[in-house]
Amino acid sequence: MSNLLEVRDLSKRFTSAGGPFRKARSMHAVNGVTFDLPKGRVIGVVGESGCGKSTLARLILRLIEPSGGGVNFDGDDLLAKTPGQMRKLRARMQMVFQDPYSAIDPRYTLTRAVAEPFEVQGVTPAKPMAEEVADLLEMVGLNPGLATSYPHQISGGQKQRVGIARALALRPSLLVLDEPTASLDVSVQAQIIGLLEDLRAELGLTYLFISHDLSLVKYFCDEILVMYLGRVVEALPDTSAPARHPYTRTLMESTFEPDPKKRRLIAPLEGEVPSPFDLPPGCAFADRCPKASALCRSETPELSADNGHAVACHHPI
Amino acid sequence: MLSVRDLGVAFGSVQPLSGVSFTVSPGETLGIVGESGSGKSLTAMSVMGLLPLIGGRITGGTVEFDGADVTKLPERAYRKLRGGKIGLITQNPMTSLDPLQKIGPQVDDVAKLHMGMTGAEARARTVEILGTLRIPEPALICDRYPHQMSGGMKQRIVIAMALAADPDVLIADEPTTALDVTVQAQIIRLLDDLVKERNLALVLITHDMSVVAQTCDKIVVMYAGRAVEHGPVEAIFDRPRHPYTQALIACIPRGLDDATRLTGIEGTVPTVLNYPKGCPFHPRCPRAEAICAVEPPEFSVEGDSAAACHFAEVAHVQPA
Ligand SMILES: Nc1ncnc2c1ncn2[C@@H]1O[C@H](COP(=O)(O)OP(=O)(O)OP(=O)(O)O)[C@@H](O)[C@H]1O
Ligand SMILES: Nc1ncnc2c1ncn2[C@@H]1O[C@H](COP(=O)(O)OP(=O)(O)OP(=O)(O)O)[C@@H](O)[C@H]1O
Ligand code: SF4
Ligand code: SF4
Ligand SMILES: [Mg+2]
Ligand SMILES: [Mg+2]
Repeated sequence: MSNLLEVRDLSKRFTSAGGPFRKARSMHAVNGVTFDLPKGRVIGVVGESGCGKSTLARLILRLIEPSGGGVNFDGDDLLAKTPGQMRKLRARMQMVFQDPYSAIDPRYTLTRAVAEPFEVQGVTPAKPMAEEVADLLEMVGLNPGLATSYPHQISGGQKQRVGIARALALRPSLLVLDEPTASLDVSVQAQIIGLLEDLRAELGLTYLFISHDLSLVKYFCDEILVMYLGRVVEALPDTSAPARHPYTRTLMESTFEPDPKKRRLIAPLEGEVPSPFDLPPGCAFADRCPKASALCRSETPELSADNGHAVACHHPI
Repeated sequence: MLSVRDLGVAFGSVQPLSGVSFTVSPGETLGIVGESGSGKSLTAMSVMGLLPLIGGRITGGTVEFDGADVTKLPERAYRKLRGGKIGLITQNPMTSLDPLQKIGPQVDDVAKLHMGMTGAEARARTVEILGTLRIPEPALICDRYPHQMSGGMKQRIVIAMALAADPDVLIADEPTTALDVTVQAQIIRLLDDLVKERNLALVLITHDMSVVAQTCDKIVVMYAGRAVEHGPVEAIFDRPRHPYTQALIACIPRGLDDATRLTGIEGTVPTVLNYPKGCPFHPRCPRAEAICAVEPPEFSVEGDSAAACHFAEVAHVQPA
């Protein structure tokens, strides 16, 4: 299987502005992330707020420039592309955002919102535009009769479908989904996930699926990357692989089963997440880790794979 | 302890809430679940006597606390109860915290107001409560401002404020929705411990069925401003009798051991302005028959559970 996406040692540093009484400080929002996404597969990225998921997504689409590392998309080195070439490529790699409300312009009808990508790319669709838009709306399960509606006239789930229709307009091969259901009710989330499954089967799409919801990622994805403070700490080759990193274990134990017969003891978790501006030496999870040793507090563990299951920990489970 | 019967709420001529009933006893956790706009927060506001603040009023039913109907209480008496014997934790901790005031004094004020404590007594109590909430170095934390703390810490401070008045009933409106999973797990554990240690009656409002499954003894499922099913949590998860509850449970992704495909619930949640006649779920219900559009269903009781569906007796099909 060939890789649609190859991410190598990708990093992004942000620097906070200094002031008269403050030094400028910098932090690694994404730190040395490496992975391959084969065609047709779904990789999930999980981790808690601020661990760098959205920054990773933006780096991959080159919506922001990396501080280091590279991205290869379908054989093309993205960092070597001019802005014009990049815009062309972006037709094939699209992003769906968390917030369906900000994704579409409130002044546009749905027709205009769905037709916009064609205009931006200067592409004339094969069919007349009205037909193309109707097809796209239908593809995401929206009644084409809604085409003349405005965003405020439709529900959150319908807006998210419009966001997906827009992303599909130029027939991309890769969709980066950044928490596409986080603001939706479960009933609507289930509709959107069902839709994404159908589209994947019909169009052979490849997804990078970002979420903080481990149960959802386990349900939807083939492989899982677990991030903690900018780094990938574990890469689970399939969704049933047992966690080897203590942080992944913590995440799994913090996720409740939707079944009152499977209640679990919630172990008290010591320590706080360290400030990303002020990371201690060694493993960033050491303060909260029951297995932390002196080695953990001095040396950063590297991600190393064993049978395709990679983990960055000195004392994996 | 707290008993709500047939509660109805109106804003002018719109009636977003009707026929909501439940009871909670000391040491018990009741979950109120339902999708966005189903009336969970309005239910909490009604019990707290806060409706006048947002221009709403109770149009029917009773809210009994320790045997007495509080809906008829004058505002002054209600104010004593609210934040006193009945505490509220809101979803967004920042709405309950004053960003310009240090943590300690904010928590002290509650004990001063509701327990008539002096400043020193109140501070001692604050430090003790922060300690039981497993906040490290509580005395030092009292000198911090809200912006110097993480989201999970702030939520604990809000819980501390609710506990400072030594309430018998605690209503928690989506207390963990804004938090990360590991922090959520800690807060849920904390609430669970409080129920047991202090014999609290806890009303936990959430849209997260997994949180309910983990913590609650019984649940109320709300849809379009009505309670559509209620009962012991195991019975409801095992054998939901209302088609809406069945659909809701089928929407939860279960990972591996469950290969069923998620399909969601067709259609959309009705808003106050277009609550359907008859059974509110009928436009989306796979079992609906002609009668459902005309006649509101009565509760059909089975054991300790009740479901408001015309076909609750025969609706034993498990979600597909
Ligand atoms: N433009 C920026 N300038 C400075 N810092 C930033 C910028 N964008 C993100 N950050 C910081 O980088 C870190 C990672 O942010 P990011 O948005 O990628 O996290 P996330 O995993 O997507 O979190 P969430 O789950 O909350 O969406 C955070 O600490 C954030 O404050
Ligand atoms: N001040 C108000 N005036 C008129 N209608 C209101 C008012 N507040 C709430 N409502 C309506 O009452 C219904 C129930 O709202 P409520 O806030 O209780 O829902 P909820 O179940 O808490 O939803 P969420 O999960 O989104 O918090 C909604 O349809 C809402 O539009
Ligand atoms: S490297 Fe050490 S501190 Fe880090 S997760 Fe592994 S055992 Fe824990
Ligand atoms: S009363 Fe009718 S519409 Fe309502 S839930 Fe039962 S079967 Fe469905
Ligand atoms: Mg993000
Ligand atoms: Mg609410």
